[in-house]
Amino acid sequence: MPNRRVRLTFPQELITEPVIYTMAKRFDIMPNIRRAKVTETVGEVVLELVGEEQSLDKGVAYLVERGVKVEDLPGDIVE
Amino acid sequence: MSHVKGLKCRECGRSYAKAPIYVCEFCFGSLEVVYDYEAIGKTLTRETIASRSPSLWRYRELLPIDGEPTVGLYSGFTPLVAADNLARELGLKEVYVKDDANCHPTLSFKDRVVAVALSKAKEFGFDTVACASTGNLANSVAAHAAQAGLKRVVFIPADLEIGKVIGSLIYDPQVVAVEGNYDQVNRLCSEIASKYTWGFVNINLRPYYAEGSKTIAFEVAEQLGWRTPDHIVVPAASGSLSTKVWKGFSELDKLGLISRARVKVHVAQAEGCSPIVQAWKSGRDVIKPVVPKTIAKSLAIGNPADGYYAIDMLRASGGDAEAVTDDEIVDAIKLLARTEGIFAETAGGVTVAVARKLALAGKIGRNESLVICVTGNGLKTQEAVAGKIGEPIHIRPNLAAFEAALEKKTAGVG
Repeated sequence: MPNRRVRLTFPQELITEPVIYTMAKRFDIMPNIRRAKVTETVGEVVLELVGEEQSLDKGVAYLVERGVKVEDLPGDIVE
Repeated sequence: MSHVKGLKCRECGRSYAKAPIYVCEFCFGSLEVVYDYEAIGKTLTRETIASRSPSLWRYRELLPIDGEPTVGLYSGFTPLVAADNLARELGLKEVYVKDDANCHPTLSFKDRVVAVALSKAKEFGFDTVACASTGNLANSVAAHAAQAGLKRVVFIPADLEIGKVIGSLIYDPQVVAVEGNYDQVNRLCSEIASKYTWGFVNINLRPYYAEGSKTIAFEVAEQLGWRTPDHIVVPAASGSLSTKVWKGFSELDKLGLISRARVKVHVAQAEGCSPIVQAWKSGRDVIKPVVPKTIAKSLAIGNPADGYYAIDMLRASGGDAEAVTDDEIVDAIKLLARTEGIFAETAGGVTVAVARKLALAGKIGRNESLVICVTGNGLKTQEAVAGKIGEPIHIRPNLAAFEAALEKKTAGVG
């Protein structure tokens, strides 16, 4: 099954919302959280998303639409 | 003899054996090389180092190779220029420029990291090396791999100007121009690196590659007579260089080669791409990715892999982070050229401009020593200053025309 390793950065207003759960349920994606850091103003979650390629695209698009920054790990490769 | 114990996750601390891997399978944290400092301390002395040839390999016990170095034997050990003219302009007494615009063979500090990465690639038995780059890294990988007899593949975004590609193409690599936006190019390169058994210098060889940056700190300390400067200003793209410079000074301290790593490592970015500076100024640990928009292309990394560690380093060293505008960058390039005869690429303009800003703000004291890192040669980014510098005087081929022009110039007319 295709997977994607991503870092999600949540703005303050989204920290209390179940955005990852909603994405997982709606697009049939299995999120596996590996690391997380949440402060008063910003949240960061590092996780692996497993699902069909199309679902992953849709799920990531949903996160972006909600205002979450989605970046592939390990960061920018092109130097 | 190797002094490398293995690799260790920077996040969760899990240990790994030496291998071409870069990410922790458990927490996806990045991996770092771990050394046996006790063993190194028994053999590595200032005298041993001084007896070796002037390249970055004079510190080979602190570099992650097992045998003798095989690639980039002439890289590093660039001049530490006593920049007295620049010091006067900055209102400081003791300023040096660490001049990697001179690095062998491709005129940027990337020659340091690539020398280490490809020596390691040969130890791992790779016959093909690769990188994803828009400039200096690609040049360096292509050149070093050519000399080392390795097959070489360079990935670039398809819209990169041909002028920038020539510096790589000349070394006869396979250049792959990827059509897509920046994120797509990043993702594709990650995928290729995980599928092909190639040594991708900035992906699966990254833990080894990044260690090469420490040699800037080693050289600065040695060139200053085995002491640290009070301040060093380092440019930041991924943030890796700043963390490794600090690690380098700290290692010398740990080994007793300097009395104490008492240096503030400052991070310099362009305002158009300053995610690390922004996080630092707002007191955040979390780096918010940005879309880069600056003339300092070699620093245009919007989602810096080592941003968090750079913030950590700033706290540990007591340094500061500052950003400067594109105009300030150009002014600083001109200032450095005018005062010291050094033509820096845009990243060098960034460090000089940030040094000036920190000095003006009183964060660098008048009597404190400062090292400014210039990491690349201005001949590579001439378009950044084109049209913003002087022009030739045109004259007819006779003495009278010359003297007339000269008179006009002296009178301040021309």
